[in-house]
Amino acid sequence: MALILTDEEQALADSVRKFVADRSPLTSLRQLMASGQPFDPDVWKQMAAQLGLAGLTIPEEHGGAGAGVGALSVALTELGAGLVASPLLGSVLAAEVLLRLDDDAAKTELLPQIAAGEIIATLALTSGLGGHVTAAGSPDAVTLTGSVSPVLNGAESSVLLVPAQGESGLAVYLVDAGAAGLTRTRLTAVDHSRSLARISLSGTPARVLAGDATAALAAAQDLGNLAIAAESAGAMRACIEMTASYARIRVAFGQPIGAFQAVKHRLADMDKAWELGCAALRDAASAADEEPGRFPVASSVARVLLSDAYAEAAVDTVHLHGGIGFTWEHDAHLYYKNGLSNKVLLGAPGEQLDRLADALGI
Amino acid sequence: MSEDFRARARAWLEANAPRRASADDEAEAEARGQAAVIAEQKAFQAKLFDAGFAGITWPREYGGQGLTSAEQIAWSQESRDYDLPTGVFFIGLSMPGNTILEVGSEAQKTRYLPKMLRGDEIWCQLFSEPGAGSDVASLQTSAVRDGDEWVLNGQKVWTSGAQFSDYGAILARTDPAKPKHEGISMFIVDMHAPGVTVRPLKVATGHSPFNEVFFDNVRLPADAIIGEENKGWAAAVVMLRHERIAIGTMGSGRTSPLAFDSLRDLAAGLGRTSDQGVRRELAELYAQGRAMQLFALLLRQEMQAGRSPGARGSIAKLAGSELSRYAGNVAADVLGDQLAGFDSEELHAVTTSIVAAPGNSIAGGTAEIQRNIIGERVLGLAKDPGVDRATPFNQLRVGTQRQH
Repeated sequence: MALILTDEEQALADSVRKFVADRSPLTSLRQLMASGQPFDPDVWKQMAAQLGLAGLTIPEEHGGAGAGVGALSVALTELGAGLVASPLLGSVLAAEVLLRLDDDAAKTELLPQIAAGEIIATLALTSGLGGHVTAAGSPDAVTLTGSVSPVLNGAESSVLLVPAQGESGLAVYLVDAGAAGLTRTRLTAVDHSRSLARISLSGTPARVLAGDATAALAAAQDLGNLAIAAESAGAMRACIEMTASYARIRVAFGQPIGAFQAVKHRLADMDKAWELGCAALRDAASAADEEPGRFPVASSVARVLLSDAYAEAAVDTVHLHGGIGFTWEHDAHLYYKNGLSNKVLLGAPGEQLDRLADALGI
Repeated sequence: MSEDFRARARAWLEANAPRRASADDEAEAEARGQAAVIAEQKAFQAKLFDAGFAGITWPREYGGQGLTSAEQIAWSQESRDYDLPTGVFFIGLSMPGNTILEVGSEAQKTRYLPKMLRGDEIWCQLFSEPGAGSDVASLQTSAVRDGDEWVLNGQKVWTSGAQFSDYGAILARTDPAKPKHEGISMFIVDMHAPGVTVRPLKVATGHSPFNEVFFDNVRLPADAIIGEENKGWAAAVVMLRHERIAIGTMGSGRTSPLAFDSLRDLAAGLGRTSDQGVRRELAELYAQGRAMQLFALLLRQEMQAGRSPGARGSIAKLAGSELSRYAGNVAADVLGDQLAGFDSEELHAVTTSIVAAPGNSIAGGTAEIQRNIIGERVLGLAKDPGVDRATPFNQLRVGTQRQH
């Protein structure tokens, strides 16, 4: 179990980091916030086509890179550090569900397009607080009714994978963005780098996908936990760097504020929590690729640690910057809101702990 | 690394080492008598040495095996589930041993390291004093030159293993007219020398894992200095770094009463696992404990790859002490009011561990000192604006001062 990055992973991290600095600095996020655009299509195109990020976890036979979860983890860490707005997370989760299900036609049709970034797909996976969907009709003519929110990039996706309860139990359904009776409403997202939507379905035609939906959705949840943990690890690193730099140059009472233990110790605690979270993240990524039996617990551990630690660190980032950190013009609130959102997406801390307790057999 | 080494280690352990049990080491030592425990550990360490598993990364000329950290890691992995009876050598090997290896003289390395490795001589570390804890550089124990020798006077405290040590690495002030960090030297002291008095120090748990040690005109030879005269602080920093890495990467036993496995079993036995709050706390404890293990493993892998963990050892040290406090809180929720009074050995062991937990955030550098180190040496923040760095030691206020 290697916890140190391999040379290949390090090279990927470096190239994504450079891409973020060149093509998607925080000033770009400010432009998106001003325009109301969910993400920059050119940046997404480059992420998918040039860097191959949309297909990292999709096997080569389906048009992806088959690079594994370790690669996805380092890429998301760098994207998270830069708060890059993109439909990557939803696409990764949609691809994971397709890979875990047994619907060869859907795999053949959709995975190569997802890998190439030609279509945006998403998975309507939520905790149940945001509504539920039921399926009706015969297998040849299924319709879905209900609503679900928040759905990652639900308004921009051309393909939606929707879990729903039918007469024969839980299944995942494929819904086309143009289907009748489908309403997609963009939500006011607390995190400026995420586009979220409510999906409302009213007798909307859908195609049922073959395979074990419960297992596939559990796998997607595990991968989602790893993905959010990875983004959080990157963003947390950015918070620590930003705050430590400020504490080195901001002077009060005749000293750089970092000299004061009230500031220094809080930063030390942030760094400690980040290091521990990163070790857990690396373990989860290597479990996914090498010992998949350990992945549910390992990804859950990484998520539990990093969601909480990042949310705390982001608040501390605002706090340790003082008044300037609470202004709109400062970047601290962008991380604070991202941390808040990352803490609850795909399962808030209590749900995550319940899930981990189940996985541990407590 | 040759797979041969791993195979050899596995076979040797299987044939010679006891499996890990859930015994409380301190209680066990008290029951069996210290002399018996030490005799057993010395015999075991000698066997370990003769089989070629002591000082795996230390140079051959000083009794080591001259191998790489790959073999060291293989050994750690293979020996993880064994309860190696080598506890009395842990401090000597990881702290004074590594420091002598790094800054000691050739004569010191040749004289002391092989015997340390073979378990013939036990070592302790003498830094803290009643008036110098976190601010250990304000120590007042003095060593005054007298002809070819030094005369040592003063008191040390919190000295683990002093009662059975043959030698100690001690910090003493050799020039009180210099600022506090610049007038300290590190010496090797013979713990059996005339003028050395060791008294056990009973702590909050009722056990006596530490001692206070008094030095009354103890004479040290000129060549007892480790490193250079008045450069003892540099040697101390080396030793403290080794201490944090050793503590931080040793990992806690899976059989400790406050480990996740133990508390989960305890909770299940008491029918407490249906309580959502308890379940969540146990899950959180698992996550925190797992992260701690993984971070220690990460540091070991980095060392194997030739990267020194440096000050990041303090992160492991800090996290470990916080974990034990958190585990104590979880145990309190699992046990409820049964924690307040009990008549079972199992609950006695749990409460003893809870009572012992605050010691972890004091011993080996307090949590606050670890945070200073992380802030200053990992994050590059400014040092504390102390007034004490430039002032001659003999003009400085130190220790506990009476209010006038």
